[in-house]
Formats: sequence, C-alpha cells, structure tokens
Amino acid sequence: MGYAFFYICAALAVLGALATIAAKNPIRGAMGLLLMILSIAGLFLALHAQFLAAIQLIVYAGAIVVLFLFVIMLLGPSASTPSDHRGRITRAIGAGLFGAASLGAIALLVTSTPKAPFGPTGYPSPPSDFGSVEAFGRIIFTQGLVPFELSSALLLVAIVGAVAVARGRHASDPNANVITGAATLEAANLPHAGQAPRTPGGLTREAP
Amino acid sequence: MKSLFSLFSPNDFSLLAVVLLMPLLGAFINGVFGRRLGKQAVRMMALTAVGISFAAAVTTFAALNSAVDTATTAHGHAEHTKLSWLAWEWMQISGPRGGQISIDLKFSVDALSGVMMLVITGVGFLIHVYASEYMIADKGYWRFFCYLNLFIFAMLVLVLGDSLPVLFVGWEGVGLCSYLLIGFWYQKLPNAAAGKKAFIANRIGDFGLIVAMFLLVVYCGALDWDGIQRHANDLVALSDRPGPINLWPIGGGRFEDLVIGGLRIPLHHLQPDKPWTITAATAVSLMLFLGATGKSAQLPLYVWLPDAMAGPTPVSALIHAATMVTAGIYLICRLSFVFVLSPAAMIVVAFTGALTALLAATIAVVQNDIKRVLAYSTVSQLGFMVLGVGVGAFTAGFFHVFTHAFFKACLFLGAGSVIHAMHARIHDENNSQDMRNMGGLKAYMPITFWTFAASTLCIVGFPGTSGFFSKDEILARVLIETPAGVKLANAQAPWQWPSWAPWVLWAIGIAAATLTAFYMSRAVFLTFFGEFRGWTVGRPSQLAHDEHGHAEEESAEDGDHDDHGHHEDLSQPGLPPHESPRPMTIPLLFLAAAAVVAGIFNPAAIKLVNEHFSFLPLEHWLDPVFEDASRGIALLDHHAAHTRELISTAGAFSAFALGSAVAYWIYIMEGGRPARELMLKVPRLYRLVLDKWRVDEAYDKTVIASVDALADTAVSVDQGVIDFILARLSALIVAATGTILRVVQNGVVHVYAAIMVVGLVGLGWFFVQPHAEFTVQEQNGDYTVVAGPGPGYAFRWYPDATKEPQTKDFSVADNIKIRLADGMSQTVKLEVKNAFGRIDSKAVTITRPAAPGSGAAMQVKEK
Amino acid sequence: MIPVEHYVVLSAVLFTIGGIGFLWRRNVIVTLMSIEIMLNAVNLALVAFNRLPSHSANSVHTGQVFTFFIIAAEAAEVAVGLAIVLSLFRIRRTVRSDEADLLKN
Repeated sequence: MGYAFFYICAALAVLGALATIAAKNPIRGAMGLLLMILSIAGLFLALHAQFLAAIQLIVYAGAIVVLFLFVIMLLGPSASTPSDHRGRITRAIGAGLFGAASLGAIALLVTSTPKAPFGPTGYPSPPSDFGSVEAFGRIIFTQGLVPFELSSALLLVAIVGAVAVARGRHASDPNANVITGAATLEAANLPHAGQAPRTPGGLTREAP
Repeated sequence: MKSLFSLFSPNDFSLLAVVLLMPLLGAFINGVFGRRLGKQAVRMMALTAVGISFAAAVTTFAALNSAVDTATTAHGHAEHTKLSWLAWEWMQISGPRGGQISIDLKFSVDALSGVMMLVITGVGFLIHVYASEYMIADKGYWRFFCYLNLFIFAMLVLVLGDSLPVLFVGWEGVGLCSYLLIGFWYQKLPNAAAGKKAFIANRIGDFGLIVAMFLLVVYCGALDWDGIQRHANDLVALSDRPGPINLWPIGGGRFEDLVIGGLRIPLHHLQPDKPWTITAATAVSLMLFLGATGKSAQLPLYVWLPDAMAGPTPVSALIHAATMVTAGIYLICRLSFVFVLSPAAMIVVAFTGALTALLAATIAVVQNDIKRVLAYSTVSQLGFMVLGVGVGAFTAGFFHVFTHAFFKACLFLGAGSVIHAMHARIHDENNSQDMRNMGGLKAYMPITFWTFAASTLCIVGFPGTSGFFSKDEILARVLIETPAGVKLANAQAPWQWPSWAPWVLWAIGIAAATLTAFYMSRAVFLTFFGEFRGWTVGRPSQLAHDEHGHAEEESAEDGDHDDHGHHEDLSQPGLPPHESPRPMTIPLLFLAAAAVVAGIFNPAAIKLVNEHFSFLPLEHWLDPVFEDASRGIALLDHHAAHTRELISTAGAFSAFALGSAVAYWIYIMEGGRPARELMLKVPRLYRLVLDKWRVDEAYDKTVIASVDALADTAVSVDQGVIDFILARLSALIVAATGTILRVVQNGVVHVYAAIMVVGLVGLGWFFVQPHAEFTVQEQNGDYTVVAGPGPGYAFRWYPDATKEPQTKDFSVADNIKIRLADGMSQTVKLEVKNAFGRIDSKAVTITRPAAPGSGAAMQVKEK
Repeated sequence: MIPVEHYVVLSAVLFTIGGIGFLWRRNVIVTLMSIEIMLNAVNLALVAFNRLPSHSANSVHTGQVFTFFIIAAEAAEVAVGLAIVLSLFRIRRTVRSDEADLLKN
C-alpha cells in the first residue's frame, strides 16, 4: 500500500516536472508545476510531515503557482515565445552534459551504496507528534527563533524589492499600465479590445 | 685655555660640530627663509655663520696645537695627533676577510686638515664680506649666500672627514655647490652650460675616486685614514688573493683558441709570455689621481675651470682659486703613504702637473679677458702643486696651496673690483672684462692696484714674498727628491724613476714659471698702467649735468641685461672709474697682507744662505703627517742637494726676472707694439693659442660625439624595437586574445550557466573518481609511505605488491612503514576507494642503496 | 516502510529534470519554474532524510524546519524573480533570455 502510494506520487511528480519543462505554452507548464507540487505534498504526507505538506499546498500551490499564472496572463501572448534554433548547440552541450553527469551520478550512487542499515521495515516508528504543528511551533519559537525572524525580514525586503523593481520608471506614467489594460481586455476578447486608453498602437508601442 | 680644552676630549671633540654645522645652519636659514628675510638679514646670517665657524676653527686649531705639544713632550718626538668627533654611525659593509668594515660619519682634525680648515673658514669669511657688497644689487641675493654657506659646509666636510666615504660626501657636495654657483645666473644659457660642464667633468673624476674606494676595501679592508695607513703595505704585497691587478689579460684569465664548430680562431697569440700586472698601489693611486684631475683641473679634465668664470667673481675667488680646486691636492697629501708605494703612479702625477702648468701658462699669455687670465693662471698653479706632490714634496706642495689661496683670492677679488668699476659705463659683460678696454686704473683705484700688485709679486716669485718661498721650493724639490717606493720583504721591487725625469720636470716647471711671470706682469701692466682706454674721462665741469653714470653702479655684473634701456654712449666723456666701497677693499687688504707675509711659515730658501736655519714651522707642523710617506722618497745626499738647490733657485729667479722684464719691455716701454707685430706675423698660431689649443673642440668631436651617437642609437632602438615590436606587438597579441575570448561573453545568462556546468562536471569528475597519490619519506632508516588524502577515501595497502594486502578491507590507515635491508628493494602498492565505490591504485618500488652512508640517494621508481 | 534511497533517487531525478529545463529553455518564466522544481526536489530529499533517526533529542525535526525556511525564502525569491521578468519585458518586450544581452562583449 505504501509502495503503491509512493510510486504513484513519484510518477506524477516526474510527469509534472517533464510537462513543465517541455510545454510550449507556459500555462501548461504552470499546470505541470502544480501537479508536481501536489505530488510532493503527498510524498510529504507519507513521510510523516503533515505540517509541511499543508504549508506546501498553501504556499506553493496556493501562492507561487498563482503568481506564475498572474504573470503569464499579464504578459499575454508574448509569454510564449516562438521557438527557433538559435544557440542550440550551447544549450545542448549545457543541458546534455548536466543531464548525463547527473544521471551517471545517480546510477553510481544506486549501484555503490551498501545495504541499507534498516531493512524495508526497519525504520523506528516516530514519536506521536512527529511532524505536527505543535512540534514545529515549539522548535520555531525556541531554537529556530533567529532564522524565523530573519526570514520575516527577508520577506519584507522581497516585497519592497519586488514592488520597486516591477513598478517601472514613473508611477504615474500612463504607458506603464498600457500592458495591463490592453492585455487583459484582449485576453478577454471583449469588443473593446483594440481601444487602448491612449494609443492605437497598443502593445507594440515602445515605452518611453 | 687648558680648561676650555678639557671640556672636549680628543676623541669626542664636539667643537668640530660648531665648525661644521654653523655654515649649514646659515645655508638652511637663508635657503628656506631667505626670500622673506630681506638682504640685510641674509647678509648678517651668512657672515655670522662663517664668522662663528672661523672662530671655532681657530679655537680648534689652538686645541690641536696644545694636544700636539702634549704628545710631543710625552713621547719625545712629534707624533701624529688628531682630534676626532663621531657624529653618527652610518653603515657596516662586509670586509674582504670576513669581518665588518664600519663606515661612520666621523670627523677629525690633524695637522694637515687643521691648516686647511683655517684657510677655508678664514678666506671664506673674507670673501663672504666682499661678496656681501659685490652682490648687493642682485635679486637672488639670498640664494647666493645659501649656496655659498653650503659650499663652506661641504668643503669642511671634505677636509675634516676621517674616512674616504665622508670625504667623498664633501667632494660631491662641493661639486654640487660649484655647479649651483657657476650657473647662478641661470637665465642665460652659457652660464647654465658652464655649470653643467663643471659638474660633468667632476663626475668623470669621481668615477676614479669610487673605483679607488672599492680597491681599498678589497686590499686594505679599511676606508678610514688610520685603517688604510695600517694596512697600506697590503697594497703591494705579493699574495695570491687578491694579488696584483691584471691589465692584460684583463681579470687574470688566459687566452685560449676559440673553437666554434669546425672553426678555430687562434686567440692564443694574444696571450703574453707573462701577464701584465700592476700593483694595487699603482691602481689606487692612479684612480685617486683621476679624481684629483677632475676636481683640481689638471689635464685632461681642466676644461671646466675657464668656463666657470661665467659665475660671479666671488665664486671664482672662493671656489676656483682658494678652496675647491685644492681638494685634489689635499686628497693626494692625505693618502701620501699610498702614493709613495707606487713611483710609477707618481711619475704620472708629476708629469701631468708639469704639462698642465705649461699648457695653461701658454694659453694665459694671449688671453684678453682678465678673469680668463686668472683662471688659466689657477690651472697653471695647480699644475705646480700637483708637480710638487708628484715628486714627493708634500710639504712644499701643500705650502703652495696655502699661499696660493691668499694671493689668488686677492687677485680674483681685485679683478672683481676692477670689473665693478668698469661696469659703471660698460655694461656688456665681455667688454667690461676685456683688458684692452682698461689701463691706467692705478690712479683711479689705488687700493685695488696695490693689493693686486702685491699678489702679482707673490705669484711671479719676487724674492721674499710667500710665492717665492712656495713655488720656488717646489722647483728645488723636483731636483732633490725622487720617489723610490718602499722595498718590502714580500713584494716586488718597485719601478724606479729614470734619471732624466727630474731634469725634464724641472725644465718644464721653469718654462711655466717664466710664462707665469710674463702673463701676470702683462695683466698688471695692461690693466693698471698706461692710459685708460675704456672711455674718455671728462673734467668735472663737463660732467656736472651727467648724473647717469652713478646710477648704474648698482647693477654690477647683474647678468640680467647687458644694455640698459638707454644706450651708453662711450664717446661722451663720463665719470672716472671709482674705487670700490669699503666692504670690498678691506678683504683685499687682508688678503694681500697675508699673501706677502705668509712666506714666514716655511721660508726654506733661507737655508741656502744659512745652513743652520731651522725656522720652518709648517714643515715641522706637517712632519708627523708625512712621516710615513717620507720613507718612500729618496733624497740626494746633503752636498749634492745643496748644489741642486742653488741651481734651481738661480733658475727660478731668472725665470721671474726674464718674464717680468720682457713684459715690462713690451707693455711699458714699447706700449704693446712688439706684441701686436708678433700677432700679425703668426696669425694662425695666435688663433690656435687664443682658442685654448682647441682642446674643447677636440673633446666635442670625439667624446661628446660618441656619446651623442650612443644616444641616437638608443633612441632608434627605443623607437624601432621597443616601441614598435615590443609595445605594439604585445598590444596586438593582447587585443587578439581579447577578441577570441570575447566570443564567450555574449551576455546571455544561460550560456554562462552552460559553461558553469562544464566546470562543475570537471570538478565532479574529481570527486567521483578517486586518485591515488603518495609520498615516500625516509626517517632513521625506515621508509614511510604516506598517502594523499581525499574526500571519503579508504585505503588498502599491499606491502609487497605480489602478495596479500595488509588488511582485507579498506580502512582509513593512510601510511605504512617499510623496513628494508641494504640493497633490497620492495614494491608497495596502494589502492584507494572512494564513497562511490570506485577504486584506483598505484605502486612504487623502493630500493635501499647497497652500502649505508655511501651517499647514494634512495631510489624510488613509480609505476 | 519505503527505504530512504528511493526518495533520494526520486529527488535526484527531479533535480536533474529541473536542471535540464533551466539550461535548455530560453523562456525566462519556464526557467523560473525549473528552479522551482529543483528546490522542491531538495525539499523532498531533506524531509526524507529527516525520517532517519536523529542523534539527539533537539534535532528530531531539523530537516523539516530547514525545509520550512527554504519554502519561505524561496517564495521571496520567486516574487522578486517575477518582478525582474516584468521589468525585462517592459524594456525589451521579450521574455527570452537570449535577447537580454546588453552585456555582450
């Protein structure tokens, strides 16, 4: 039973990952990512990490993937790029070498590790509150207090940084929003799609 | 007095510090603050500095005198005494036989340097007083006195130094000050060029001095006077190390045939039967003399002295008459005990001096510029001094230095006074110094005339004056003394002088003395006698309205402008030439008086008349200094010496008489007519002598031209090879490499990531695959093989590769000890396994050498 | 129980897929998602190792806590990364990484 669960989740995770990297349409890629994350959440559950599984779902599936989708939709049709063969050789060398080395290392590991110290049934059973919210909370607010506070500061910095980077040159620049407005309307295929607030050129107008 | 002297012990005579440092202080204050202080303050500072230095020098001399007296009463005979003061420990250099030679900033006064010190500070003080009035109108007044005080300091360092390096510091210092002062009016290019010429000619001599220092370190192992004197015999000793100096083959090699491939160049013919060598003493003496020729203006380096007249006249008086140029003779006197070891070097010195004296005298005969006449006269008199020390008459030569300082300084200052008067109306520098424009100044400038005439009598050797006693003494000594070298037990016999040498030298000296008498008398007659040829001197009523002449007297030899805004019309009658102001005439009086009576210090000629005359204070004073040197001089026996002295004195007197009489006849009685007729009869010869025998031009065409050629070659190499090939080619290579490398930088991030992957894989390979390395160490006969560590490595050793491993499993033991019998060898193998389970192995064969301690290293062969 | 090696191998495979995706694809959004895959693989490995018995009582949950913080930091990184993507788009009107070559040569 446990094995089946593991293998299903593993297969789905790999499938999701492959879908992410292979899909031409980035929306499909995001969906693949979502699938992978859900599978990993399942695997967390199998590893007695309930709290983490919940966090995984909330943060990853609920926030990060959504963020990705927002940005993809914001970019609109430009989000998917026409594929051509530029730089193929460099990319092939890089990816191929990495993949070969990686898979070789995995094979090496698999064939060379000694027998597991515990057999398939040899793991000691975990304590009852293993992976629970209480245990987590206890640790985070005692031993892990400093990283906790620091990560909250990190998140603040990230928010401010993201806003600063994504804001563009002038907050009141009307053209800064031209992407938003026109792209959303066009994506929705409304009759007033072409009538951008300012310019007939729409998306192709260069930012000043 | 005794209590004063007891304040300073003879080994720490810090009064020397006052003597030395007061001029330095004056130079510093005038140099740094002079511009703001104003002329009167600068003058006060400079005069005070030298005045205090002179007072301290007199006190020091008195202390030295009492020390000498004490030593004489203690030891019964005069002994070489000196007072010394150690200022600073400077450096240590390693000596030739191990040990250290310490070079310290140590100053000492003994009999010789005491006299020099008095001359420098005394005559220096008088010339400072003169110059303070002479240069009063110059804008660079403060700069002048800064340099002049600095010169006094440097000259004192030179004579008071206790070792050759300290002397060299002073040597260079006076060279520097000479350059600064000759080129004092540097805005005019000829003045700056003259300064440069002086410095460069001196530099060539300094090379000789440095080489001499090196030789002294190697042979004597000491550089201070006492040390050199102690080890002086080592300079001629016949030993293998360091041995005599090889001239041919240079450096002491052998000429063998040169074989290149099949070609055989028969160089063995160049090998002499016996290598040509000279003793170290000869080499050191010749090198020191090279330095002396540079500083004291002998052949071939005298060419800077006449050009140095471009400087202000007080500079010419102080530096190029009284003090700096005598540094060379001081050096020779100081190291007299080295020179006498080599008669060969001394004959070179003597002949150089004699020939210089004659050459310069011939040039002076036809010169028209009064300062030029005096300059060549200085060169000629220096030649006499060098001749004196060259034959071993150190006291006579030094006495001539002493008297020459007085009368030559007086002559130069007198000439300056005359020029000062001429400058009132003739502003062109060349014309105001031309004797053809002078004449009859006897009536207008009496003090200048009488002092100039007194000094002239000294220089031509009028009986009774100091010049008579010093110059004619030299000529007499030439016939009496001959350097014979010192016969030492472990040295070769020194080369002896040929018997004709003294007579030839004496003849050249007499000829030079005759010419000296002639041209100095000529100078006096042209300048002070006859009619004034400069301009017409008007009657007072004519000049009542012409006030211009007076206003010009400020800018004496200003050098900045050679004609004022208004042209001086010399056909108009003008004010008569006037006597110089008091600060200028008083030093003249002092110097002339000293010049006349200084003969009292060593009136050796009186011995001709009175055999028992022994009042020779200078000779007795300097005896201890030259005692060591006198063992190398051969004197004729008493009777022969007396005869020769008579001959010499007669010759010298007739030289004086003949020269002066001819000059009198030509210039006073015939009004210069015979000279003019002779000039027209041999115009080419006249031109040649007037052009100083074209020596400067010869140097230009040979030495200077070759240096220029070398410079041109260097420039073309620089442009062609270095700039073109090296600079541009390397730039090209760098640019090409950059272009090639730039292909990688295309700004795209994933390309960079791909490159990183390549690097990572390489790194990963190192982790994945183990590498077996080890080193073999030997320790007390056991061999230890130590394996190189690595991540996750486990080792398995095979002490003998053919047999079983030490342990069956891999472990973390990373070394193994092997013990071998002599001559045995064993192969050790190592297997390494890393965390990935991969195994690598390596083997080594260790062989112990057959016999212990045979010196053969152990052999390690790796597989 | 499933041996921990299985989880580790799975994590390695996912990491490889993510790495290949990062090096192969030029669309910056897909590369960001590949980074997500890599980080998730690491998280999985950490949590799997956490399952093994620990040496002391204090470090029972170390792997999970570590993963917790990775998720937090990683969320921040994604936010800023997407902001940069938007900036890139605004300037160059493209989401292709090989057109962002202003530092060329």
